[in-house]
Amino acid sequence: MKRLLTALAFLPVAAFADPLKVENAYVPLAPPSSMAHAAYMELRNQSDASKELVGVSAEGYGMAHLHISEEKNGVATMSAVHMLQISADSAVTFAPGGLHIMLMHPQIPQAEGDHVHITLTFADGGTQIVVAKVMKASAHAHMLHNHGS
Amino acid sequence: MRGLLVVFCFAVALAAPAKAQVQGVMLDAPIDLPVFAFANELEESFTQDDLMDQWTILMFGFLSCPDVCPFTLGNLEAAVSETGMRVRPDNLPQVIFISVDPDRDAEYVSEYAKFFHPDFQSFTGARDQINSLVDATDSFYRLMPPDTTGYYEVQHSSAVSVIAPDGTLRAKLQPPFDPGATAEFLARLQITYRKELSQ
Repeated sequence: MKRLLTALAFLPVAAFADPLKVENAYVPLAPPSSMAHAAYMELRNQSDASKELVGVSAEGYGMAHLHISEEKNGVATMSAVHMLQISADSAVTFAPGGLHIMLMHPQIPQAEGDHVHITLTFADGGTQIVVAKVMKASAHAHMLHNHGS
Repeated sequence: MRGLLVVFCFAVALAAPAKAQVQGVMLDAPIDLPVFAFANELEESFTQDDLMDQWTILMFGFLSCPDVCPFTLGNLEAAVSETGMRVRPDNLPQVIFISVDPDRDAEYVSEYAKFFHPDFQSFTGARDQINSLVDATDSFYRLMPPDTTGYYEVQHSSAVSVIAPDGTLRAKLQPPFDPGATAEFLARLQITYRKELSQ
C-alpha cells in the first residue's frame, strides 16, 4: 500500500515535467547475427530549461548506452557519452555515423514493425519513454525524403 | 605510402553538394597483396585466388558494431547497385566483409554481409591472417581494453579497399559512399585499369 502511495505521489511530477519532443525514432533492421543494434531519433527541448540526458535503457535488451561514433584520421571510433546536454529551445539529432543509442544483447529476434521502448533518464531523476519503430534503414531514408519534399 | 596517393573528389552536380562527395583515393602504383585464407561457419572460404578475374570491395569491421558497419554496408549496397548501371555485369565488384573480431563473431559471421545484399559475403580468420591483410591494405584496427562486463569496443578504418581483377590493391574509398559518386569513381577506376592493361 505504501508503495502505491509513493507511486501516486510521483505521478503529478512526471505529468508536469515538460517532455522532450521526439521525432523519427527508429531502430534500423540489423543483420540476424548482429549483437548490437542502434536507435536514432531527434530530441527537441521546447522548454526554457536545459535537460541533461544521463542514461538509457531499453526493453528487450540486456544493456543500452549513449554512444557517439567519430572518425579520427580515417579510423572509426565509438565512445560512451556520459552526459548529453540538450539546451533550452534546441534539438539534438541521433543519426548514423554520429550519436546513437547502442542497444546491446538483444533478448528476442528483431522484426520489422516491432516497437522498442527506450527509457531516457535525466540528471534531475526524471524519465521519459521513447517508442522507436524497427524498420529497414532504406525505408527510413525514404520516409524522411517524402517528409522533406 | 601516403606520398603515392592522389586524391580524387567527385561531386554530382544535381544532388545536394554536402552529401554528394566521394573521397576516392586512387593509388599511383598498384600494391600486391599477401597470400591469405579466411573462412566462415558455413565452411565457405575466401583466399587471394578469389580476388582474380573480378573487382572486389573489401572492408574490415565487427559484428557488435551497431552504427558504422551497418551504415557502411547499407551505403555500399546502394553504391554497388548504382555501379551496376555504369559497368558490365562481370565488372560489378564483389563485396567482402572481414570481421577483425573472430572471438565473438566466428560462429555467425556469414549472415552479416548477406543481410545487406544476398551476394555480399563475410568471413573471419586467424589473427595473423587478419593482421597481414589489414597491413597490406593500409588499414587499421584495434581491440580496446574490456570493461568490467568483459565487453570491448573495436576501432577500425572507415575506408574500404578496391582490388582489381589482377589481385592488386588499386584504390581506397572513404565514407559516406554516396551511391552516384562512388559508382562514378569505380567506373573511372575500371577505365583507367583497362587502359593500363592495353598499353
